Amino acid sequence: MSRSRFQHINYPIVLRMIAWLLLIEAFFMLVPMAISIYYGETRVAVSFGVSATITVLSGIMMTLFIKPTSQSMRKREGLLLTAVVWVFFSLFGMLPFLLSGAIDNVTDAFFETMAGFTTTGATVLTGLEHMPHGVVFWRSMMQWIGGMGIILFTLAVLPMLNVRGGVSLFNSEVTGITHEKLRPRVSQTAKQLWLMYLIFTAVMTVLLVLGDMGWFDALCYTMATVSTGGYTTSDAGLWAMHSTYINVVVMVFMFLCGINFTLIYKVVVRGNFRAVRFNDSLKWFTFVIILFSLSVFVYMNIMGFGKDVGERLELAVFDTLSSITSTGFASYKYENHGQFISLLMMTLMFFGGMAGSTSGGAKIDRMMVLIKNTRNELYRIVHSNAVTSVRVDGKSLPHELVEKVIAFLAIYVLVFVVVAVALTLMGLPIFDALFTSMSTLSNMGFGCGVTDGVGAYAALPMGAKWLLAFEMMVGRLELFTVLALFTRTFWLKD
Amino acid sequence: MKIIIAGAGEVGTHLAKMLSFEKQDIIALDPDERRLANLDNYNLMAIQGSAIAFADLKRVGIGTADLFVAVTPQETRNLLACMMAKSMGAKRTVARIDSGEFIQKNRKSFFTEAGVDSLIYPEYLAASEIVTALKHTWVRNWFEMLDGELIVVGVKLRANAAIVGRRLRDLGTISGFLHVNAIKRNRETIIPGGNDVIMENDVAYIATTREYIDRVVELCGKTRHHVQRVLIMGGNRIAAELGKLIGDKYKVKIIEGDLDRCRELADLLPYCNIVNGDASDTDIMDEEGVGDYDAFVALSDSSERNILSCVMAKELGVTKTVAEVENIQFIAEAESLNIGTIINKQLIASSRIFQTMLDSDVDNSKCLALTDAEVAELEVQEGSKVTRRMVRDLGLSTDMTIAGLVRDGVGHLVNGDTRLLPGDHVVVFCLSGSIHKIEKLFG
Repeated sequence: MSRSRFQHINYPIVLRMIAWLLLIEAFFMLVPMAISIYYGETRVAVSFGVSATITVLSGIMMTLFIKPTSQSMRKREGLLLTAVVWVFFSLFGMLPFLLSGAIDNVTDAFFETMAGFTTTGATVLTGLEHMPHGVVFWRSMMQWIGGMGIILFTLAVLPMLNVRGGVSLFNSEVTGITHEKLRPRVSQTAKQLWLMYLIFTAVMTVLLVLGDMGWFDALCYTMATVSTGGYTTSDAGLWAMHSTYINVVVMVFMFLCGINFTLIYKVVVRGNFRAVRFNDSLKWFTFVIILFSLSVFVYMNIMGFGKDVGERLELAVFDTLSSITSTGFASYKYENHGQFISLLMMTLMFFGGMAGSTSGGAKIDRMMVLIKNTRNELYRIVHSNAVTSVRVDGKSLPHELVEKVIAFLAIYVLVFVVVAVALTLMGLPIFDALFTSMSTLSNMGFGCGVTDGVGAYAALPMGAKWLLAFEMMVGRLELFTVLALFTRTFWLKD
Repeated sequence: MKIIIAGAGEVGTHLAKMLSFEKQDIIALDPDERRLANLDNYNLMAIQGSAIAFADLKRVGIGTADLFVAVTPQETRNLLACMMAKSMGAKRTVARIDSGEFIQKNRKSFFTEAGVDSLIYPEYLAASEIVTALKHTWVRNWFEMLDGELIVVGVKLRANAAIVGRRLRDLGTISGFLHVNAIKRNRETIIPGGNDVIMENDVAYIATTREYIDRVVELCGKTRHHVQRVLIMGGNRIAAELGKLIGDKYKVKIIEGDLDRCRELADLLPYCNIVNGDASDTDIMDEEGVGDYDAFVALSDSSERNILSCVMAKELGVTKTVAEVENIQFIAEAESLNIGTIINKQLIASSRIFQTMLDSDVDNSKCLALTDAEVAELEVQEGSKVTRRMVRDLGLSTDMTIAGLVRDGVGHLVNGDTRLLPGDHVVVFCLSGSIHKIEKLFG
């Protein structure tokens, strides 16, 4: 064997895994196909059928022709698989858009699909109410799959990933600083998390239907909410329904899905309420929501937004939750009243929900560590010999972890700025570029200025769409997984 | 099976990794987060906490645990942890200890009443394994049931072995008393089929019965040596236990570098000669006349040094060498260097835990863990799957084989036409990762 400069990576096993995952995706495509058939949208149903067939065939071909000689999955294979699988899912997931004619070019279709799977919810489509039901459903469903995670789903249903490599896949897909497991085996943990997710979905759908929403809309909105994705079924969105009940239901579920699922599991299934009392990030999460809601509410009252105090309160809480959990349901055009609220929202997106939830952003847990560490640093300026520690949930964090969190936040800001600069290069105004970049990286999907409004992303130049699609993926996989692929040490031996 | 392992040291980490590989539900508990980080990418749950804190035991769900294994560095802590675990609902508890005092038979009821079901004393087990190795110099591994009614041996085959170069199906009459269960070739263990050929330098795992053992020695091209003089390098706890076990059966000399420890050993082992010096020093080796010994046992703290001094001893003409190798990664290397028998505390501890897993009454069964396979003894239960058909029709998976059985006190080999009966004691040879399947077949 000749000595190669390149690291040995077991590509066949990565492709074999992807092949299996594609078969799962094809299975998911059958759901919108059924919906299309139900609504008599023959052409769309056919396009889903064809897409599913292409996906299945690709999966089978890959399984048949790629024979891994070794089953070993190590760090590199795990990282590569986790990152690449999102690209593959988007490539195949965009087929229904193209085949049904809902989107006429690859760039837009890929952007839309990536925005779906990463639960960003940015869209290039307008006239959603005239779109075929199958297409609208597929958008929401992509978010639902991507919200909890493609690999997590596979870990739950298929035993084949349940080897050593599966655990590192779990670690690279689930968000958070550390990865708490619910049960000893990763497949059990994945099953519990998906079970919770399914229960949330079922309960919320029923609640929305009780609020006089049609079951189709209810299901779509539910999937977009529990995944904190934010795709709607009409251009006007949720707010146009003028139903306080529906808004409150959505708010409650945005809040719940911004909480660490492991924590919810402990409380709901194990009845461990102590876990809540001693959870710092939940306190911070709640505190930030209250603080920002109040600020927005007070500002709205001063500036005279909306009809009355009730609507202002609803708006304030709704948008705060929508931003911090990176759901991104739009409600009101703030720009007409200055950019204060927009900037508050941008800050909230950066914060994000709790680690281990379906929300995006940098995660409130990391913010908490950053702020506590900053406080320690300031303390040490006066007491230079003091030994301090960052305490979370009553326990002090190891220094390496604090370093990792700070590195994460630094890289987060770096990516945010670099993409924003690139966007200004493509002609976006400064604030719009910054806002769009943050919104995309945090998997939020709100636009501002030129990107504001339903389908406004369609107007962006082609390069910007690809760049943003990439940024979404970086954000969803929490930077390190994707960015590691762009380092020298990943590929080269030296 | 839900297994909680308290203490993520060398033994605990190995146990956790291996048992998670066997598809068991593993929770590892250790106060040191850095030690748990080693287990990050394994399919198990690592929880930071103390083995002797009620709150932490509760947190890992001790009440539903099938097995609690305490392998922290301190003996008393392990015992206490097991008592606490038992009282909180753990079904079975196992503690690692480090003094021979506790394993005496008449003390057993004391520990059982206190809540400690079994004790693992790896150093003692290692010493007894060395004693076996010294008794049977021609094998790498020796596993016997019922005082040798049925025997499974691991033998390195040289060109002079009669069975080398033959297909298993062509062994003819030999196969009546010799069953090749597994072959270790180039660091890989395989369960062979009829078409596989035995090759030179293979380590073959052969099952046979008491009356044919001499024929097997002959067919493997081996001669038996009677060990009389043993040289032990390193005076650790294994050496001390070994000295006690050997007593005055052989002439034993222990070389130990630390003078205080030498005095302790001299006090403890009246029949052994104790020498103060460094055994890797060639002068000392020469002076003590290594070449005149029949067996050399290297038990120093460093695996590398043990391996190398065994190689050296072999060159000087010692027939049987035994090395303690604590780095699992080195074992394959050491085996290829022709060191007679390799002792590893982690594997020994795993053997005991496997036993506990397979059979709650440890005294009834045995288990021998190799680096990538296990040999286990089990009792066939009434109504279990294996009793329903003949062995050939059981559809056993390719990673295991039934080596033999003991029925009514007599050992038999097993072939396709054998039908297992409840109450038989069988020996199963299986590759790592498949031991959990055995439970289903025999339970």
